[in-house]
Amino acid sequence: MNKKPVQPSVARSPFRFSTQTLLTLAAAWMIASLNVTADDGLDRIQQRDTLVWGADQEGGGPFVYPNPDDPSQLVGFEVELAQLIAEHLGVKAEFSQGQWDKLPDLLDRGDIDLVLNGYEWTSNRAQRYGVSIPYYVFELQLLGRTADDSLTSWDDLLKPVDGRKRKISVLGGSAAQDYVEKFAGDSVEIVLFEGATDAMEATELGLSGIDVNVQDLPVWIFYADGFQQLRTIAPPTGRGFYVAMTRKADHDLLKAVNESLLRALQDGRLRKVFTKYRIWNDTQATRGLETDVDGGFVGGHTESLSNGSGTNDRDEEETASYQPSGGWEVIRQRGGLLVKSAGMTVLLSITSMPIAVFIGLLIALARLYGPWYLGKPAAVYVELVRGTPLVLQLYLIYFLVPKLLDILFPGMGLTINAFAAAVMGLAINYSAYEAEIYRGGIQSIPRGQMEAAISLGMSRGLALRRIIIPQATRLVLPPMTNDFIALFKDTAVCSVITVVELSKQYYIQARSAGAIVELGLLTALLYLAMSYPLSVMTNRLEKNLSQERRG
Amino acid sequence: MIELTNIVKRYHQQEVLRGVSLRVADGEVCVLLGPSGGGKSTLLRTINGLESFDSGSIRISDIILNAEPGPQRDQALLEIRKRVGMVFQQFNLFPHRSVLENVTEAPIHVLKQPRDAAVQNARRILARVGMGDKENARPGSLSGGQQQRVAIARTLAMNPEAILFDEPTSALDPRTTAEVISVMTDLAASGQRMIVVTHAMSFARTVAHQVHILHAGRIAESGPPEQIFEDPQEPITREFLSEAAKA
Repeated sequence: MNKKPVQPSVARSPFRFSTQTLLTLAAAWMIASLNVTADDGLDRIQQRDTLVWGADQEGGGPFVYPNPDDPSQLVGFEVELAQLIAEHLGVKAEFSQGQWDKLPDLLDRGDIDLVLNGYEWTSNRAQRYGVSIPYYVFELQLLGRTADDSLTSWDDLLKPVDGRKRKISVLGGSAAQDYVEKFAGDSVEIVLFEGATDAMEATELGLSGIDVNVQDLPVWIFYADGFQQLRTIAPPTGRGFYVAMTRKADHDLLKAVNESLLRALQDGRLRKVFTKYRIWNDTQATRGLETDVDGGFVGGHTESLSNGSGTNDRDEEETASYQPSGGWEVIRQRGGLLVKSAGMTVLLSITSMPIAVFIGLLIALARLYGPWYLGKPAAVYVELVRGTPLVLQLYLIYFLVPKLLDILFPGMGLTINAFAAAVMGLAINYSAYEAEIYRGGIQSIPRGQMEAAISLGMSRGLALRRIIIPQATRLVLPPMTNDFIALFKDTAVCSVITVVELSKQYYIQARSAGAIVELGLLTALLYLAMSYPLSVMTNRLEKNLSQERRG
Repeated sequence: MIELTNIVKRYHQQEVLRGVSLRVADGEVCVLLGPSGGGKSTLLRTINGLESFDSGSIRISDIILNAEPGPQRDQALLEIRKRVGMVFQQFNLFPHRSVLENVTEAPIHVLKQPRDAAVQNARRILARVGMGDKENARPGSLSGGQQQRVAIARTLAMNPEAILFDEPTSALDPRTTAEVISVMTDLAASGQRMIVVTHAMSFARTVAHQVHILHAGRIAESGPPEQIFEDPQEPITREFLSEAAKA
């Protein structure tokens, strides 16, 4: 299969560090100030008859991924686990898409009741959230290229090859990253990826000199068929536990989740699910069942369970596995979903840009004609908005505005949905740029225009509205159309606050189908189809303007 | 009646107007002459508030304009600007509007005239300045002289008590200058009160009722044109006229 190389991001890149740090600080601050919702999680869920659980389909198989036969449906062992838990609670299970590393934030925000997405047990998480008993015991698998025989054990990792450190690809923020950092420290170079399959692919292709990958075993089992040039090195190691997470205060919910998992474990339903995805193994018989005072799991304690034969039984039922697809087939199957998500991209853009232009005009007028108590804050606003990344602004709006609403109107349960937050974020971000464009446009109108207008008895406001702004608007239209094209592409960032637009849908579909090239070309084409007419419009506007000026 | 009393204006430390007083009676054409930098344009622009001044006062019929900034001054200025029009050296037509729209803009949006009446009136005025066939043209497609005639029409549409002309022909070539001068002469003949800053000596000589020579922020000499041009009393006036004759 012909695949597009993926760009690895190096762990020590300063940009990555600063953005992540900012986000983490912001999140920590907000969460610290969050008063946890009352202890009625289970009641609430049963009243509304729905358990809302969060995961990121971009993570792919075998966890949660689009069904290859019908990409608009989700499959994966966690989808089945969620149904199992919901059944136990006597409610329906409802999936909610969120960016993987932001799922706990969605829990804090109250958007979801349960995180169920390959989150491993850590003591930090156990302190902040309600963690369930493990639903799966995973191990880490060391992977190398079939052709590369210089690696036979974990210890080989520590030896440099040709005088340079080994390069190891891992999923950013995963257990594999922690394990490798502890095991090898500075004697290796760790390269972080956003997707597990990207990390494997980079290793298979040897991109940027990466020669090793460390992967959660279930992921490797699921995708092994798609990576013929990779082989396992040494037995799996570094045991860890996938746990479900609830808000700390939702004791009843956590208890019920634990009950449902335990029951499914005992009556063999859990094993059936894992067998379907080919990830049942001997290790599953060993798991920790110690619970703490909150009814959650305490890591580190394991005991052997007698149920389960201890063999891999693949004979029951059909199994689900990775089915790479490509060509027209994948376009036919998944193209529709991409086009639909392009609709979201268009909707985000055409809603936020007019708001951005309107706010921008007000800011420009405040700076040019307003008294100091309007002009100064307007200048600060522009610098503040221009000087901070869009992704941070979106994140703050999504998580901060509900908090502010709660302080301003306590008890009314006002909140802001992801789409509204995305539009607000984009509009605010772009308003700063539009303000500067408008300011430049207004300043380039000759002073005589204002003098002529007020000499005819117009007030300053009327002169601005009828004479100055219409002329400035014609001047600023080309650069603003240009910005509109940029905004089109910036909508991709909205996936951090759970909005699934074209780019996010592409990552989800491409990773689950293994069709990076085909779907990538289609996605690029869709973006082009949206932005090209705007480009043509910009050129035409510029031409008209220069003709008009020549007279 | 327009009456300026003891107008003083400073730019930084320098006094550009040093106590100027003058009167323009109804139906009178007043021309300000003098060397560049003498303060003619600045003086003209204080009358409708495009320039502030530091002391003195201006009276236009029943409106009094003082130096002190504030809501009272702003209110007086709005009223003055409705009654006193201005024509600029650079025309300053609105380039995004047609000729007709330039003329109807203020009557409709400032005087709140009904659109039909404003359009009808604008057409009559455009015909009067010889621009009747250009009402749909954009200002950018007109010659300088044509633009200035539209600018005069724009001012006339407000039915002003007086019109201030700030070097109306300085940006024009001799042929188009003649067009504009002829329109202005025609206006003067119909009794339109005007204050004109200009270098067009023939206009001052034949049309003005009063001529004032402004030099270094002061009025050096005032009088009817026949006195100023035939029998100047002040050395400054004589020097200015001989310089102007050479140019």
